[in-house]
Amino acid sequence: MNNAAVAPAGQINKTIWRIFFILIGMAFLFLIFPYIKMVLLMLIIAWLISMILNPLVDYMESIGLNRAVAILMVMLIILGLVIAIVAGIVPAVISAMESLKTKLNTDLIKSLTIQLEQFFEKNFNNAALARDLITKLQQLGGEMILRIGFFLKNAGSYIAFVGIVPFVSFFMIKDKRLFKRMLISQVPNRYFELFLNVLHKVGNQVTRYIQGQAMDALIVGLLSVLGLFIINLVFDNPIPFFFFIGMLAGIANMIPYLGPIVGAVPAILLTILSNSSDLGTVLIWIVVVFVLVQVIDNNLISPLVVSKSVNMHPITVVIAVVIGGNIGGVFGMLFAVPAWGIIKVTMKEVSWGLRSYKLK
Amino acid sequence: MKNPIWDNIVNKKKTELSDTTRILATVPIFSDLDMKELIEVEKIVHRRKYKKGEPIFRMGDPGLGMYIIVEGTVEIVEEVENNECKHITDLDKGAFFGDLALLDEAPRSASAIAKLDCDIIGFFRPDLMDLLYRKPHLGIKILWALAKVIGERLRRTNEQLSNLQCELKVTHHE
Repeated sequence: MNNAAVAPAGQINKTIWRIFFILIGMAFLFLIFPYIKMVLLMLIIAWLISMILNPLVDYMESIGLNRAVAILMVMLIILGLVIAIVAGIVPAVISAMESLKTKLNTDLIKSLTIQLEQFFEKNFNNAALARDLITKLQQLGGEMILRIGFFLKNAGSYIAFVGIVPFVSFFMIKDKRLFKRMLISQVPNRYFELFLNVLHKVGNQVTRYIQGQAMDALIVGLLSVLGLFIINLVFDNPIPFFFFIGMLAGIANMIPYLGPIVGAVPAILLTILSNSSDLGTVLIWIVVVFVLVQVIDNNLISPLVVSKSVNMHPITVVIAVVIGGNIGGVFGMLFAVPAWGIIKVTMKEVSWGLRSYKLK
Repeated sequence: MKNPIWDNIVNKKKTELSDTTRILATVPIFSDLDMKELIEVEKIVHRRKYKKGEPIFRMGDPGLGMYIIVEGTVEIVEEVENNECKHITDLDKGAFFGDLALLDEAPRSASAIAKLDCDIIGFFRPDLMDLLYRKPHLGIKILWALAKVIGERLRRTNEQLSNLQCELKVTHHE
C-alpha cells in the first residue's frame, strides 16, 4: 500500500524537477543566445545544405561509391561553382555600386529633379516639395549603397563563416544516421516508437519540401537569367549583371507573393540607371519576362517540384513573412515560410502520433 | 598523432564483430549477409533496454519494425475488453517478433511486454527503406530473406489450417 502511495508522489517530484531544469535550461539559452546566434545560423545553413545535397550523395553511394568520397566530390563541385560565381560577381557589383553612387550625384538626379520640379510646379504649385523629396531619396540611396559596399568590401571577414559551413555540412551528411541514433537513444521507451515514426515522417516531408523549394528557386532563377539574357541580346545589353539578377529573382521567389516583386525590382532599377536608349520598351520586356516566369512557375514547375504537404493559406503566408521580416530582416522573410512549413508538418505528425499510439 | 577528423572520414575497418553484429547474424532475416553487410546493418539498428513489465509496443499501435531479444523474456499478449490481456506466447533470447511491420504500417495485432528485464535490438521500416535506396544489393538480400521467413510461416499456417479442417470434418462425421 505504502509503495503505491509513494510512487505517484515520487513521480510528481520528478516532473517538478524536470520542469525546473527545462526552465533553467531555457533561461540559460536566452542568456547565451547573443553569443551563439552566429553558431545557430551556421548550423541552420549547414543543415539546409546537407538536406539539399543528401539525395545526390545517397545516389552516389547506391552506385558503389564510399559515402565520404561521394560527399567530398559533391561538395568540391558545389564549392567550385560558388567560388567561380562569387569571384565573377562580387568585384563587378562593387564597381557597379561605386559608379551608381557617382551617377546618383550627377546627371541622372539633376534631370530627374528638373522633371519632378516641373511636375510639382504644374500640378501642386510647389516646386520645393520636389526638391525635398529628391534630397531625401538621394540620402537614402547613398546610405543603402554605402551599406551594400561595406558588406561586400568586408566579405573577407565572412570567409571563416563560409569555410566552416561546408565543413559542418560534410559531417552532417556523413554521420546523419549516427546523429539520429544518438538523439533517439535519449528518448524514454514509452515514446520510443512514436518518436522514431514521427521523426521519420517529419524528416521525409521537410526534406522533400526544402529540396522542392531549392529546385524551384534554381529553375525560376535559370528561366529569369534566360529571359534577361534574350532581352540583352535584342536590345544591346541594357541590363547589367543579368545572371546575378536572375539568380537573385530565383532565391527571392521562395518568399510567396512578395518574392516575384522583390526579384524584378533590381532588374528594373539597374536598367533605369543604365540609361538605355529604348528604356520604355526594355522595361516592358523585363516585366513581361518576370510575369511569364511566374506563370510558368505557378502552373508547371511549382506543382511538380514543391511538396503539397505544406500547403498554406495566403493569410498565414503573409503573417509568417511579416513576422520573419521583423525578426531577421530579408533573411527572416526568406526563411519564414519554410520555418512555418516545418512547424506545421511537425505539429501535424505529432498530433497523428499522439492519436495513433497508446501511451497510457 | 591521432587525427579525429581524418579517423572519422577514413572509418578504419573493424577487426572483430561486435556483440550486436554477432546476434544479428543468428536471425534468419540477416543470415545470408556477410560480415561487411552485417556491420552496415548494425549501424542502423537500435539497441534498447526494457524493465520488467514495460511494454515494447501495444496492440493497435502503427507497426514500425521488428525486435530481436538479446537478453530476457518477452510476453506476447492480446488485449481484450476491460483492460485484460490474453496470453499468446513467451519469447526468449534469440527470438524475433514484429517482422511483418517491416512491410507496412498496419496496426500491431498483439502487444509485446517485457516479462523480465530485457535487452533488445530494434530494426525499423524507415531504416530498411533508407538502406534499400542507399545499398540496394544489401536491401534486396534482407527483403528476400524476409519474404522466405513470411512464406515459411504462411506454409505452416496453411498446414495447421488444413489439419484443423480435417479434424473438424472428422468431428462432424462422428
